[in-house]
Amino acid sequence: MIEAGNRNTPFSQAALEHIDALYGFAMALTRNQTEAEDLVQETYLRAVRAFGRLMPDSNLKSWLFAIMRNAWLNQLRHDRSGPRFVEIDEEESGRSQWLDHQSNDPHVVYLRKLERDEVKAAIDCLPRFQREIVLLRDIEGFSYQQIASILGCPAGTVMSRLGRAREKLRRLLTEWRTGNANRAARAKEA
Amino acid sequence: MNQCEEIRNQIAFYLDDELEGGDRTEFDEHLRACETCREIFERERRFFESIRDCSPLYAAPPELRARVEQILSAAPSPHATPAKLLHRIQRSLRLPGSRFTGFLNPRTVAALLAAFLLIGWGLIEYMKTRPSPPSQFAMMAVATHQRHLREQLPLEIGSDVPERISNWFAGKVPFSVKLPNYQESSGQEKLYRLEGARLVGYNNGYAAYVAYLMQKRPISLVVTSEATAKPSGGEEIVSKGLTFHYDSIQGLKVITWSDRGLTYALVSDLEERGQQSCMVCHQGTKDQDFIESLKPKQTANGPSP
Repeated sequence: MIEAGNRNTPFSQAALEHIDALYGFAMALTRNQTEAEDLVQETYLRAVRAFGRLMPDSNLKSWLFAIMRNAWLNQLRHDRSGPRFVEIDEEESGRSQWLDHQSNDPHVVYLRKLERDEVKAAIDCLPRFQREIVLLRDIEGFSYQQIASILGCPAGTVMSRLGRAREKLRRLLTEWRTGNANRAARAKEA
Repeated sequence: MNQCEEIRNQIAFYLDDELEGGDRTEFDEHLRACETCREIFERERRFFESIRDCSPLYAAPPELRARVEQILSAAPSPHATPAKLLHRIQRSLRLPGSRFTGFLNPRTVAALLAAFLLIGWGLIEYMKTRPSPPSQFAMMAVATHQRHLREQLPLEIGSDVPERISNWFAGKVPFSVKLPNYQESSGQEKLYRLEGARLVGYNNGYAAYVAYLMQKRPISLVVTSEATAKPSGGEEIVSKGLTFHYDSIQGLKVITWSDRGLTYALVSDLEERGQQSCMVCHQGTKDQDFIESLKPKQTANGPSP
């Protein structure tokens, strides 16, 4: 039987393997390194306490993700000064402006040419609910059903939210690439 | 809605591995026949891959990792019996007249022992006659091979240079993958071609997946740590101090074995036991006897299964 309580036990070893993925999810939820670190710690504390309730054939990774999301929701409910359940378009446009501003920096322009960085930045610009769903599906590879159980919503909601998130991602990337191309053309003309 | 529209609406489900059975076959067939849909599909596939290539988005800072390790090592085991309960049970077992003492009288113990021995003997006899089922790892390797053939598992790195593939795995899996460079160093004719590799999820972690082609026939090699998967089941063949487990699953030949802390699975549709797939690591004439040892023994009734 799997036992927790010692980092050499199968549970501890297996749980520790997901620390990067959990930290990524925490960053997607909080967008703040300190808060993300606290959330990861809280998740592991809760996991150790609740380990006895984990069914033997359960998926440990999706279980840890569900714990993290519940912990984050609890924090939101109890922390009035914390982030709110509002659509994050203002936040997003602020981030886009930041990126536009940064793109004057030749080094950042160079980095933006690298598709990977660009896509990462675009994911970061998505509203929170869209960001988390892209992370769960495309970065962590959870199935629709697993995502539905982590988020506590029907699989149909997962599909529609994922569709909207990808559409937004595509739009952002197209805008940036068109913007970059226009800037490059203007620079050439000058 | 015409068929093209229907198919285009399903592209995301297909790429998310959520389209199964007849729907998936229909999708594949339509794509083969319709160039426009194929182009749209390819564009979508590249877009999806560009997102998936970003994995992992972040790495946990070392200080956080250290704190979590501390949490995991300092916390009491949730399965440990609470001290008070343990004390009560021990006291009950010691006290005469306790309701547990009935179990401890010598006649009851002897009867229980006899029953256990009988059941144990029965189980051993049953296991001897029962065909041993393939291991979970062998099943996963076959499923991975099939998914790769259905293009559901695109390779994350495409290369025919073993060293590049080996380096790509560094830091991505918790063990070292060193693909042999036998063909290049031996100067022999190339009998197989390395296609590329990717990570595959297994047992809450990642296993290394390497794809080869031998005369246009695909061979899959899946590697994980011995701690994660132990080869078992199927027909056991001992050769050069290693125990190989051979299975035939859904028409595919699977050979699994452990060596120096790693567990391997080779999947192919090659002849006999698929032992020729071992060439991806053992190609020299000195290894020919090793490959021969995995061949089915010829008997009066023909090759053994």
